[in-house]
Amino acid sequence: MVFCPACERNNMFDLEQSVAEWRKQMLAAGIQTPVPLEELETHLREEIEGQVKSGLSAQQAFETAVRQVGRPDLLKQEFKKSERTFMKKTLIILAGIFGVLVGMALVMPAAHLYKEQGMVHNAIVGFSWGIPIVLLGASTTFLGFKKRKA
Amino acid sequence: MIRKELVAASAEPLILSLLVKGESYGYAIIQEVKARSGGKLQWTDGMLYPVLHRMERRGLIKSRWGESETGRKRKYYSLKKDGKTAMARHHEQWLLVHGVLSGLRKEQYV
Repeated sequence: MVFCPACERNNMFDLEQSVAEWRKQMLAAGIQTPVPLEELETHLREEIEGQVKSGLSAQQAFETAVRQVGRPDLLKQEFKKSERTFMKKTLIILAGIFGVLVGMALVMPAAHLYKEQGMVHNAIVGFSWGIPIVLLGASTTFLGFKKRKA
Repeated sequence: MIRKELVAASAEPLILSLLVKGESYGYAIIQEVKARSGGKLQWTDGMLYPVLHRMERRGLIKSRWGESETGRKRKYYSLKKDGKTAMARHHEQWLLVHGVLSGLRKEQYV
């Protein structure tokens, strides 16, 4: 049963009041506004219209539509899940870019040492650390992008 | 009624295949899937939106706010190039599963 204060007061179903109550419950569960709450509200209203057209009273249509849209806590859980995977993949990409930058910071001075001062030993150390780190970073970034599409 | 694991797995290929016909919005997508499956394939409506948002983040579809015939704000989704590729891949995989399944089924009656 849907909580409907308007109905208790004057025994008349007030659709706007009930939708406002529904919004409050969604917000309380942590569903963000304007997206996705506005989108869900549009859906709720379209579902109500569809049910009214098929013969239900406004109140019955509202209750059916609320059930159809689903429980706010379960919805929040689903939205959170997709946000988390997105964040994880973005972090992988950022870590990869960071790796490339660190690697470059090693390779560039090494090249400089080799060219300007002929310090072969120092240059080799720089290259042997820098190049693998650049490659590792680049492949991590690449993997991150591929995962985002997958 | 179709079990929920299968409903979940088929959501993405169904959405992609519907959007290939042109842009659409949540309520219409659900109504069409319901109608085409004779009411057997039913989502909890709200659960469609996390799926749509995930697909949008992955670059398979894009969205824009528009207006319905009655002037209500409505979010329309349409397919992107990567979405078409993903759809082709889904079709290939589902056809493969379907092929194996119907092959095995035929053998039972031989």
